[in-house]
Amino acid sequence: MSDTPSSGAQPTVAEKVFTFVDERVGLKLLAAKMLNEAVPGGSRWAYVFGSILLFIFGMQAVTGVLLMFYYVPTADHAYASTQYILHDVDYGWFLLSYHFWGSSAMVLCVFAHMSQVFLWGAYKKPRELIWLVGLLLFALVMGFGFTGYLLPWDQRAYWATTVGVEIVDKMPVLGDFLARFLKGGATPGQMTLSRFFVIHVMVLPAALIALAGLHLFLFRCAGPAGPFRGTPTELKAKTDYFFPRQIWKDVVGMAVVFACISALAFWEPVVLLDEATPDPGDYHPEPEWYFLFIFQHLRLKMFSGELGQFFGSIGLPGALGIMLILLPFFDRDSERNIFKRPLALIGWVVLTASIVLFTVSAIINRDFLD
Amino acid sequence: MQPQLKSKVRCADREVGEVSKVIMDPLSFEVSHLVVSMNGEGERQVPMSAVLTVTDDVVQLRSSSSEILCMPPFTREDYVTLHEVEIPGLERHVHVNPGEVLVPFPELERNVKRRAFFTKLTYATGLFIGLPLVFPVLKFLMKPMYASLDNRWLKIGNIGKVKADDVGVQFQYKRKVKEAYLPEAEIEKNVWLVKATSSVLEKVYQGKDMEFRDAAGRPVWTNKKDIPFLAFSGKCPHLGCAFKWRKHKVLGQVFLCPCHLSIYDASGKVLDGPAPRPLDLLPIQVSASGEVQIIDMEFKAGTKSQTRIV
Repeated sequence: MSDTPSSGAQPTVAEKVFTFVDERVGLKLLAAKMLNEAVPGGSRWAYVFGSILLFIFGMQAVTGVLLMFYYVPTADHAYASTQYILHDVDYGWFLLSYHFWGSSAMVLCVFAHMSQVFLWGAYKKPRELIWLVGLLLFALVMGFGFTGYLLPWDQRAYWATTVGVEIVDKMPVLGDFLARFLKGGATPGQMTLSRFFVIHVMVLPAALIALAGLHLFLFRCAGPAGPFRGTPTELKAKTDYFFPRQIWKDVVGMAVVFACISALAFWEPVVLLDEATPDPGDYHPEPEWYFLFIFQHLRLKMFSGELGQFFGSIGLPGALGIMLILLPFFDRDSERNIFKRPLALIGWVVLTASIVLFTVSAIINRDFLD
Repeated sequence: MQPQLKSKVRCADREVGEVSKVIMDPLSFEVSHLVVSMNGEGERQVPMSAVLTVTDDVVQLRSSSSEILCMPPFTREDYVTLHEVEIPGLERHVHVNPGEVLVPFPELERNVKRRAFFTKLTYATGLFIGLPLVFPVLKFLMKPMYASLDNRWLKIGNIGKVKADDVGVQFQYKRKVKEAYLPEAEIEKNVWLVKATSSVLEKVYQGKDMEFRDAAGRPVWTNKKDIPFLAFSGKCPHLGCAFKWRKHKVLGQVFLCPCHLSIYDASGKVLDGPAPRPLDLLPIQVSASGEVQIIDMEFKAGTKSQTRIV
């Protein structure tokens, strides 16, 4: 880190501006602090998902703000304004489809990120708080998906919300209040659209920015966990800084994700169904693919009846959530190697397999409905 | 203790210079090396294993001065300062200070007795601002949540559409809604009508007329047990999807909800699937000319008992 300017030559205007700012806020030191973060054991492709999530969120924010230039969140104009974006506004189809597929990419990368942290045992002491804030961020991402789905106000949107809110209604004590609170009444309508809109574009983004900031702050306090194998000497020998090797990997990851989302938006652009109304016609209601496994498991006979339904829609997901919250406090063993944590490995495999299984069977089941 | 900057460095035979830098190990957070400024003969990097004792201002080495001089010179380019790098927790382990750095404590802040009081006053002011807002904000957000129930009769079509007994026939109708500030609009809804045979009627009414009441408990309408026309709300009592009349391989003609696969017979009874109660019957009137009217009620889904919400 040399502070001396290039030999003898007069500083350019850009250099003068940089020096001016640097004198006042210490830019060089700040940049050094940001970039020279030691990564024990060296940079890895497995570590790219956090940065990719930040990138996807940034793009969702940009495309989301752009969509709001035309979108109107009212029951009588939401559908028309979304169709207008899709068919009349230049590149509207692309921006809306990018935003749509971006949400899928977000959910996939959240799953990958959480799996990586879980399998690497990186939630263990002293990183429990990062894990907890991460779980909150996961809930926010699902909330984004759920609230955003209603906004186009087509049949798909209407029914996913109708069923989704009924699931909230199954919560003990507070369920009825929360469901009415979300809907702004007894059935989905203008009040629901207003509420979902403001939650989607104001409440959740503010919460996500705050919590993602906290997540990063806590991460910087504890530092990267590094690999679960290797002696201190081996780790030190392989240690590098966040910049340039890890950032390079992150940037490649972002570019790949951007290319995938763009390709999906290009070849599979969003097509709306009919406008939302309580009569679905021939449409078979179904949620977005990342909620399909919940949808499918609620079809099981074991979750029938009032009690079964409570277990299926609230009890089971709630228990899973509580287990994830308590995980770093019960799993106090400092062993991080996933191959020496059989229970954790089996748990992850079973959960992932059942999510895949239920999702696939929901897709297969579509053929039997007509 | 950790060796301090500017400490004199003594070898087994003589003093060789002073500590000019210390080098920390980023993993163990221990001091790993000293950099010794050799009284004008450059700097040498000395591992802590060569250190015998450390006192406030003297570091005693095991080796002789010639051994230290033979060590390779210290290369600054191989290192970065603590301020230029992010190694969490490292700074807390550094106790290498040339001395305390002080700033004066302002006159007015000395002997302030009521610091705790002022802290509490801040919290109290926060509550004073926040608490009165809770109720208005809640009421503000809850305004549309509990609308009154609507018991108007709606014309939905002519019963002539129903040709066969014990078969579900969908009646689609439009309902006018006036939501808050929006202009009046029409939404499309549907109910299922069944012209029931006496055995199905018996299953539905079990020999008793069915009474519908409003929120205050006053009777609104009674479906007579011997009137053969049944109107089922189009909303599945499982999770609120819309069901259809379909042919089932084993069970024959049934009401099937495509969402979670609840199956009901023509009387609305649950045959299979997760639904917790039978289909919801609505008040129905059929005039002499065959005009069908219903009261468009909706019930909470997913509960064993009926709770009316619309």
